[in-house]
Amino acid sequence: MSDAASAIIPATKSRHLRACLLCSIIQTSQDFRSIGCPNCEEILQLKDNPDRILACSTSYFDGVIALIDPETSWVARWQRTAKYARGMYAVRVKGRVPEDVEAELESRGIKYRPRDQSDQD
Amino acid sequence: MSDIEDHDDDRHDDDGEHPSPPRRKLYDDDEDDEEGEEEEEEEDEEEDEPSTKPSTTKHRHKKPRTGLSRFLDIEAEVSSEDEEDGEGAESDSAIDGFISKENDGVYGVGDDLDIDDRHHHARVDYKRRQAERSAEEIARELSDRYSGRGIGGRRFTGELSEIPQRLLMPSVHDASLWQVRVKPGREREIVFSLMRKSLDLEYTAKPMSILSAFQRDSLPGMIYVEAKSSQQVAQACAGLVGVYPSRGIHLVPIDEMSLLLLIKKVDAGEKIIPGTWVRLKRGKYAGDLAQVVDVTENGDEVGVRFVPRIDLNPREDERGLGRKRKKGNDPTSNNNPSARPPQRLFNYEEVLKVYGRTAVSKRGQVYVFFQDTYKDGFIEKDVKLNSIILEDVNPTLDEITMFNSNNPLEESLVDLSIIAEASRKAALAVLQPGDHIEVFQGEQSGVHGIVQEIQGETLTITALGLDLEGQKIDLPARSVRKRFKPGDHVKVMQGKNAGETGLVVAVSDTGSTPSTSNVNANSENGEKRRENTVVTFISDMTMQEVSVFSKDLREAAEVGNTTNIVGEYELHDLVQLDPQTIGVIYSTSRSSFLVLTQHSQSRLVHPHQILQSLRPKPNSVIATDKNSHEIRLGDTMQETENEHRTGRVLHIYQSHFAFLFNRDVAEHGGVFVTRARSLVSVSPKGGVITPGGASSKKPTSDLTKMNPLSAGGASGGGGFVGSTIGRGPRDRLIGAHVVVIKGPHKGYVGIVKDTNGVGLSGVARVELNTGNKVISIEKGKLHRKLPDGRTEPVEGPGATWGRNGGGGGGDNNFNLPMGGRTPGWGASGGGGGRTPGSGGRTPSWGIGAGRTPNPYATGGHQTPAWNVSSKTPNPYAGGGGGQTPAWSAGSKTPNPYAASAAAASRGGGRTPNPYASGGGATPGRNAWGGKDSWGSPIPADSGSGIGGWGAEIPASTWAAQNAPTPAFASTPGFAPTPAIPSTPGGNLSSTNTPYSSINPQYSQYSNNSNAYASYGAYAAPTPGMLPTAIGRRANEGPGEYTPPPDWLLAQHLTPHLTSLRVNISGTKLPHQPYLDGLYESLDAHILAASRVADNYEQTALVKVDLEKSSAVTSAQLAALSSTPADRSIPSKFLLPVPPSSQDDTAIVLTGPRQGDKVKLRQRPDSGSPTELVVVESVDAGGNASGTNGTEGGAFWECQKDWMCVCW
Repeated sequence: MSDAASAIIPATKSRHLRACLLCSIIQTSQDFRSIGCPNCEEILQLKDNPDRILACSTSYFDGVIALIDPETSWVARWQRTAKYARGMYAVRVKGRVPEDVEAELESRGIKYRPRDQSDQD
Repeated sequence: MSDIEDHDDDRHDDDGEHPSPPRRKLYDDDEDDEEGEEEEEEEDEEEDEPSTKPSTTKHRHKKPRTGLSRFLDIEAEVSSEDEEDGEGAESDSAIDGFISKENDGVYGVGDDLDIDDRHHHARVDYKRRQAERSAEEIARELSDRYSGRGIGGRRFTGELSEIPQRLLMPSVHDASLWQVRVKPGREREIVFSLMRKSLDLEYTAKPMSILSAFQRDSLPGMIYVEAKSSQQVAQACAGLVGVYPSRGIHLVPIDEMSLLLLIKKVDAGEKIIPGTWVRLKRGKYAGDLAQVVDVTENGDEVGVRFVPRIDLNPREDERGLGRKRKKGNDPTSNNNPSARPPQRLFNYEEVLKVYGRTAVSKRGQVYVFFQDTYKDGFIEKDVKLNSIILEDVNPTLDEITMFNSNNPLEESLVDLSIIAEASRKAALAVLQPGDHIEVFQGEQSGVHGIVQEIQGETLTITALGLDLEGQKIDLPARSVRKRFKPGDHVKVMQGKNAGETGLVVAVSDTGSTPSTSNVNANSENGEKRRENTVVTFISDMTMQEVSVFSKDLREAAEVGNTTNIVGEYELHDLVQLDPQTIGVIYSTSRSSFLVLTQHSQSRLVHPHQILQSLRPKPNSVIATDKNSHEIRLGDTMQETENEHRTGRVLHIYQSHFAFLFNRDVAEHGGVFVTRARSLVSVSPKGGVITPGGASSKKPTSDLTKMNPLSAGGASGGGGFVGSTIGRGPRDRLIGAHVVVIKGPHKGYVGIVKDTNGVGLSGVARVELNTGNKVISIEKGKLHRKLPDGRTEPVEGPGATWGRNGGGGGGDNNFNLPMGGRTPGWGASGGGGGRTPGSGGRTPSWGIGAGRTPNPYATGGHQTPAWNVSSKTPNPYAGGGGGQTPAWSAGSKTPNPYAASAAAASRGGGRTPNPYASGGGATPGRNAWGGKDSWGSPIPADSGSGIGGWGAEIPASTWAAQNAPTPAFASTPGFAPTPAIPSTPGGNLSSTNTPYSSINPQYSQYSNNSNAYASYGAYAAPTPGMLPTAIGRRANEGPGEYTPPPDWLLAQHLTPHLTSLRVNISGTKLPHQPYLDGLYESLDAHILAASRVADNYEQTALVKVDLEKSSAVTSAQLAALSSTPADRSIPSKFLLPVPPSSQDDTAIVLTGPRQGDKVKLRQRPDSGSPTELVVVESVDAGGNASGTNGTEGGAFWECQKDWMCVCW
């Protein structure tokens, strides 16, 4: 099986589900606060940072993906989450990461792709 | 298995020595079974260990070690396990739920003691090092840890960033997507369940082999599972509640896979900008328009402002409580929208007055009242994005004005262009083919046109105007707007005013709205503001100006009436306001009514103030008018006092108050109230007063006459009488399908809703089939549509369905099969006065006469009709019954009409004999005066009558002529026809008087000649009402008329022979063309024809008229122009030419009036040869025959092919 890390799977009923603007993973805001984003914590630094969490994640997302085998899944590939932790991801997330994150990504030579499907290529 | 902590974890589980997360217990059994397999994995992991070690260590440091953990460590050692386990267990349980699940199946390094030893030493070393470390080192390490390393510990690199999406399209090598039906609403939950299940089962004997599963909000009731096979999907879904794999697991075609993930819900939330209009979804303000003031960064919440609804008249107790328990009884959070206070801008003083100083506080520019902030009179609030409606907001002008009116001087946020923008899409939807549009942007800017076609966003228009006239142009739909000009009649299609119609009085650009002009002036795009114009029109209903956006309008011919219903109350409903007060709603607005009470006061009431609606049961209301006639709802009545207003009775309350409606009355929407006893009937609608009552000059409220039983008794004539007296529709015409033949509505088809007045000048209210419009139109302009597509006048000559002047009896007639069949005659015999006419006409055709019909029909009606319509009054006036044109016209043919008239009058239903025979007889006699046969029978009948009369006379005279109606004989059953009489009296007597008064006979029989006259007159029309049954028969009966081979030689044609225009037809026989068919289809004059012996072929000498023949071939032209045109042709090849245009003179070939010379007075326009056309009898000299030559002759109706046109 995949050796990818597994994110916390939030309780379905949770009313505070939020999706990461960068990787689109879905977690509760508590989880974001306690462990940050399993994929992009390094760049977003959400852990214990409620303001940051508010800025870099949103409750406004559409479609939920249960990503069970990111490595082989075409869905994961299409969603560009194949290298990420297993877990729940949003299909579409509204909003863009804050500018500083965009700048940081750029400086690392990573192309930022908003998760709102606003730009397709 | 990247994280070494996994191992630690699992080892504990094995040993059972350490506390482990409870959930893991569930899988212990499985894990035991799989131990063998997993040993291998462990070895792999061993290799990984060194690399991941740092991560582990760091992780552990998150929790300071405790005494307990030390203890655990020791325990671990004792049990020959790696001492790390203790730490692992501890830290793991501390962060349980994070990575733990994946650990379930992983076992620690197990029995490898060397490794354990090494670990142990390493740990001891590590501890030592830790202790030795300086504070700086620790600080650095901490900052390292928190500055870049997350739990994943991975540097974020993005993923596949450089690969364009299109290269990520699925291939055949990828697993497929399967669509699974699930319970709607639980899609997300189920996807979560699948995830959890897969993690839980991962290291079991049956791990789930699906790769992913997802759900889209826009695809309710289904989820998609990525797996290699449907079995895998089924396996994954097994046991999950709410998944319906039984409904099929469908493969998603590979080319549709990506689309599922690309679905992009039209997300209005994305376009929210300050100034956008939204609507609130819930609570007291549900449905209210609000304007976005600001948007939070992440878009979850928006600040909106809207007009508050503060209850300024709170109930006393509420206010008291409200002060104490603000939350519980907050006046601003009233949750009952039905009783919500009106929208009103916040007014500090007012609120202060009502709620006291403590409730309101002022903070800078804003007021705070019950936790809400009020600024500039508006309430400003942050609301969740999902509690507002973003789509189809469609703000109305009124609502926007409310936002604007507050501060006209200040530059308002309101920009109508925003509305225009928002509603542009909606505007697309309202464009329809046929709309007049105007292009306001783009190349074609300024072009006017009519929408021809709409395809998605593209319109095809036909341009109007100089250069482009008629050209078809394709345009984007959003570059056009509807175009209206003053004078257009429009209808509002949507919005608050939906359904209103009116006449456009002004059209203006949005920019001209004063409060917004400055905004628009600032708008960079000057065109933008032109997308919508504001159209002002005068409402047909309220006569007030209404302004709406042009996009909401359509051109419409109809008059709107749909906004008349508010809740369960409707315009003109009778409602109870309190036990003493009732009233009629005469005006409705959005949430209130104006009611006119029985005391003639107007009150503004709200729906909740209405106790109940008093919907009368039809016909259950009984009241009598001034003349003790029954008033029924819908009657047109006139006041005899006060203002003598006329109106239609809407309601009668307690037999005393009558509410009437007349749209011409300006006050109270045309509704007025009056005492029922002060009313008199305006139109001779089916009153209940019986002839008896009339003749005895006792206009009392003889309610016994309403009683069918007593009425029946009175009629003496028979048992059929009046079970429906006074109850049936008063005019047969009501409900009839008619077509308008003249005037602006020509060609419109509709249903008669009401009639007023009789004769051709009577008015009918016709509800047009097109749209919803009711027009008032003279009956003379109406033709009834017959089921076979033909039409006939509703009144006057040829009308089978004349007005039911008599009133009551109609129903009976209908029900009587006899009436349907041979009524006329029967009627005449039995005294079913009215039936005759119709009976005369239709049935006879229907039944026997086949092709002789019309004359009768017309005859049947004729006289009365003329009388009534007063078009040919003179005849009567001039000479009494005998002079009626009908009679004179019919002088050659025994006129059925006479019979029917006679019968009619005498039938008189229930006032039988005396006067019936009198009235009836008279015309009859006069008409027939010259003929013995008629003269004598009548008097004979007059006494009692009936049977013999009808049976005899018609039988002889008619039968002789047209052989037909066996039914004639069947006079009998007829007796009854009841109500004939009733109302007519009033109206008609005046017009008809001459008739009766001139007639000496008449007076003999009557005390009241007027009364008789009216009956007589009426009796005749009644026939018309006869019945569908008859009508149908008639339609079946007369088909096309095929003249007999020797039609030309008929005696009655002899005088006209030389003027006949005939067509040579049938000469091109297939085998033996007559004269080679040379004369085929030519028109010819008859020069001479006379009967030869029967065994010779009948021929006629004709002169071919090449010039006037409609179809002349060149061969004919060549051959005949040289030869003499006179020749004799067998008369079987000569066919009559039916008249084809108005004013054609023609000879009637068949029917009772055969041989008559007539002139077409109606333009025949139906292709059907059986079309009935109105003709006027002409004397030999070509003048219309009448008592004095200048007046028109008798008009009647004749089937086209019964005539042969003259040259």
